[in-house]
Amino acid sequence: MLSVKGLRAKVGDEEILKGLDLTVRPGEVHAIMGPNGSGKSTFAHVLSGRDGYEVTDGAASLDGVDLLALSPEERAQQGLFLAFQYPVELPGVNNTYFLKAALNSIRKARGEEELDAVSFLRLIREKLKILHLDDSLLKRAVNVGFSGGEKKRNEIFQMALLEPKLAILDETDSGLDIDALRIVAEGVNALRSPERSVILVTHYQRLLDYIEPDVVHVLYKGRIIRTGGKELALELEERGYGWIIDEEHAA
Amino acid sequence: MTAASDFTSWLDGGRTVSDGPAWLADWRARAAQRARVLGVPGRKDESWRYTSLSALLEQDFRPAAGPALPAASALAPALITGFEPHRLVFVNGDFVAALSTSGALPEGVRLGSLRERLATDPGALEGRLGRVAGAQAPLFSTLNAAGFQDGAALLIDPGVALEQPIELLHLSLGDTGAILAQPRHCIVLGEGARATLIERYLGLDGAGVCTNAVIEVTLGQGAELRHERLQDEGAASFHLSTLHLDQAPGSRYRGVNIGLGARWARTELHCGCAGRGAECDLQGLYLAGDGQLMDYHLDVIHSVPECTSRENFKGILYGRGRAVFDGRVLVARDAQKSDAAMSNRNLMLSEQAEIDTKPQLEILADDVKCSHGTTVGQIEPEMLFYPRARGIAEPLARRMLCLGFAGEIIEALSHEALREQVTEQVGARLEQASG
Amino acid sequence: MTSTPAVDDFVKSDYEHGFVTEIESETFPPGLDEDVIRAISARKGEPEFMTEWRLKAFRHWQGMAKPTWAAVDYPPIDFQAISYFSAPKRPEDAPKSLDEIDPVLRETYDKLGIPIEEQKALAGIAVDAVFDSVSVATTFRATLAEAGVIFCSISEAVHDYPELIQQYLGSVVPHTDNFYACLNAAVFSDGTFVYIPKGVRCPMELSTYFRINARNTGQFERTLIVAEPGSYVSYLEGCTAPQRDENQLHAAVVELVALDDAEIKYSTVQNWYPGDAEGRGGIYNFVTKRGDCRGARSKISWTQVETGSAITWKYPSCLLRGEGSIGEFYSVAVTKGRQQADTGTKMIHLAPNTRSTIVSKGISAGRSTQTYRGLVRIGQRAAGARNHTQCDSLLIGDRCTANTLPYIEVKHPGARMEHEATTSKISEDELFYCRSRGLGEEDAVSMIVNGFCKEVFNELPMEFAVEAQKLLSISLEGAVG
Repeated sequence: MLSVKGLRAKVGDEEILKGLDLTVRPGEVHAIMGPNGSGKSTFAHVLSGRDGYEVTDGAASLDGVDLLALSPEERAQQGLFLAFQYPVELPGVNNTYFLKAALNSIRKARGEEELDAVSFLRLIREKLKILHLDDSLLKRAVNVGFSGGEKKRNEIFQMALLEPKLAILDETDSGLDIDALRIVAEGVNALRSPERSVILVTHYQRLLDYIEPDVVHVLYKGRIIRTGGKELALELEERGYGWIIDEEHAA
Repeated sequence: MTAASDFTSWLDGGRTVSDGPAWLADWRARAAQRARVLGVPGRKDESWRYTSLSALLEQDFRPAAGPALPAASALAPALITGFEPHRLVFVNGDFVAALSTSGALPEGVRLGSLRERLATDPGALEGRLGRVAGAQAPLFSTLNAAGFQDGAALLIDPGVALEQPIELLHLSLGDTGAILAQPRHCIVLGEGARATLIERYLGLDGAGVCTNAVIEVTLGQGAELRHERLQDEGAASFHLSTLHLDQAPGSRYRGVNIGLGARWARTELHCGCAGRGAECDLQGLYLAGDGQLMDYHLDVIHSVPECTSRENFKGILYGRGRAVFDGRVLVARDAQKSDAAMSNRNLMLSEQAEIDTKPQLEILADDVKCSHGTTVGQIEPEMLFYPRARGIAEPLARRMLCLGFAGEIIEALSHEALREQVTEQVGARLEQASG
Repeated sequence: MTSTPAVDDFVKSDYEHGFVTEIESETFPPGLDEDVIRAISARKGEPEFMTEWRLKAFRHWQGMAKPTWAAVDYPPIDFQAISYFSAPKRPEDAPKSLDEIDPVLRETYDKLGIPIEEQKALAGIAVDAVFDSVSVATTFRATLAEAGVIFCSISEAVHDYPELIQQYLGSVVPHTDNFYACLNAAVFSDGTFVYIPKGVRCPMELSTYFRINARNTGQFERTLIVAEPGSYVSYLEGCTAPQRDENQLHAAVVELVALDDAEIKYSTVQNWYPGDAEGRGGIYNFVTKRGDCRGARSKISWTQVETGSAITWKYPSCLLRGEGSIGEFYSVAVTKGRQQADTGTKMIHLAPNTRSTIVSKGISAGRSTQTYRGLVRIGQRAAGARNHTQCDSLLIGDRCTANTLPYIEVKHPGARMEHEATTSKISEDELFYCRSRGLGEEDAVSMIVNGFCKEVFNELPMEFAVEAQKLLSISLEGAVG
């Protein structure tokens, strides 16, 4: 499904990703962990096509489609979804209108019919339930006046609606209290399927108690330096990153 | 065509309301005289600093020889489904009874042609017509006083609440030449009266008409008026409109000004809070695209204590669009507990657009809360990225954000059908702009 | 005061450096014509180019009208009734002792903790020299010379560095600029010239030195500062102590030129005599100050604390011509009594990626009128330009006036401009909070006002920031209640 090979990227003059390799197969959940400044969020942004990053080398493809050649919307239309660490507020942009435009853009790209208003609303109400969100949210502007937890739940709600092939959750657990974290995790788990993959970008093991990963990677200085099973996350929780980094330096 | 040196031609040959009471003739004669004295304001005149009149002077707009008599079908494109007001229709400034549907009005509401009112019941307007504008009105208001053809007279008795909105629908039809249309409306709400008034100005055939409208509004104690003005004149038209507002104690005025059309449009809002505790809320949205000028002048005067005013104007500029925002809030000596907040925010979408903005506060009392804020900027890249990351193509994402920006003002409109109509019009203009 | 060799040296060195202009004790009769201009120029022994320069300005000035747009009100000035060349006051005309000085003024000096000798100097009492300063001044001169910094009077510069004067004088504020700048060009008395060579960081604040020496520069002062590529200078004019002057009209011109990567920080503390409670006898301060960020990445920063003058008319401005150049304006203005101040800035963005910041804090009390008048213009070439403006006015008393009149002109969509302004009186909540913690009302006001002005004080050189705060407190005394 996702194949990333030797990915290098710069912000300004500073190289952040220094040859990152990653393969994610359908249905898998991968966790990417690492200390601050290791390049986790950069990786998520580069994959989703955000401006301000210069890819200098390497390749990234989703089901064989070269992601790096596509605009952000084309990547989304290909089935890539980024749950933002800091969801942006769009003042005055009505949520329903926004969601409908997004869903229909993606459906159109997939060669599907655009949804009419009635079936759209039915669909949206169904998805709202998964995230325990109130439908008053639909009348509000996108992310405006949402609490931190609501913003994160709204991201996963959008994921539920847009049904991506690959979802990247960028520090979705940050700033969430335990109840909100559980709701978000339940939402993600409900969306797990043999065709859908998930990358969890996170700093802490905590999220992985709720969303069990198949594979755990440690990202450090722009490269993946260790890959293991979910037990690796537990070990990290216990021992921190220092030992892996030390071993990496020793190697 | 040679450029005229002033606007005296506007004073000649019109079908002004010449019959009628002596006070009327007197007032109009004084206005004509004053208009000649005022001459043409230049760049040194603060309120014309950023606005040139030369484009208007190049045109030879004249009052029409007689009223245009369009077929009833002319109205069709102007109607909005789901919006059923008491409607007075003006074509090139003349009242057209055949197209108007003022319907059954409640007791205590007098609505009709100003000309007719002056002919049949001039006493109702004596001391009212021209009172709010005053003897020192600015040039175009003065020209209108001298030359207005007709307009609406709306008189609501104390305590009467009118639920159904009143619409003054203006159609510009330029097929008979460069026509000057000068309607003048006189609106008086008695103590505690309530009403919603919609003014729409539409150019249906794209021809060049010049509208110079004036509306005088008097709100009695505790009266409430929602006043919404939608300007969507044709691309070759000139549009001038002046509001003179006088508020008695405790009255509330909520105004929304939407400016989309015309080649050159200037709106002057002269608002006086002369009654304690009056509230004045002015919202505005303007789009200025290729070759358009949108010019707004606000003069909000807090002359007594405890008045509140809000001035919130937003602009979207694209192509070679130009806009001017000149907002002034004056808090007079001893107008304590005045509360005024002015905001002017602009989105610039193109390389050639230009905005001049001048939000001014003049404060002569100390116990006040006054502020203004102005921004000029573009769509934030991270705001644009978010919808794109959800699969929405860039042009649509951009338009969506612009509509979101405009939405705050559109939402202030009282009627759902109007909000939808304006959203559609704004969306269409933005689509054209990005097209 | 006993004369000592050190004092004699000091006086002589002054003459040598021409800082105190050597002229006979005489005053030209009032009036202005070409002969007077020629006479001024001759008296100063100026070269031909300078005389012509003045005459050209004078001829232009004759066709100019006095500006009327500012929100200030004063009786018409009879320019033919002013004497355009006057010798320093002779000892016998000056007040003989501090006893002859306005007691209010003396009280202020005491509050500011100004030494008695300096008090005399400020009050215009004839004194020989301020002894303590002699050695200090001499040390300064040596240090500056070592760094290659030129710091002298304009008169001296006209003689010694005519090529620099010809190149730069009037290049930022041409004589055609405005009525008072034009008059200044024709008749300027003296002023200061600073030249910082390439790559030099001026080793000291050009402040203390100036404070001691730059007296009697007259009513038409002219300052020119040129910073060559990569250089830096911080210059402070004025003085926290109230300055008296017999000349009511002051029309100074300040020109700054910053070349590539150069930075000029120009700080002003203006405390001219504001007149008595009714505003009589106060100074009219009509100043043209402009900085030209001519070079790429250059920076000019104006910081001002204005508490004096009966009438102030002043807009320190920046022309941002160099790519990536930066203009800043930080201002605190306090008006009380019958003072009138119409002040602000202009930030003219002409090049890409230029940035400007405006922070203006106005405090009006009594029956004073204060106007912020600012222009931010972003030209067609100024892609990526940024401006942030914050204008706050604080009102003390219900007879004062505060106007905020910004003009914002944006001709490039890649620009970003934010302007915020507020006008209010001191918050009752803040006052109450301070007072419930035991502060007296006056102290509470002073503390809150100082907080209000903090952003600007932070921009002042350290020693002056402290003095400016003290000055602010003193200025507000009696204005509260």
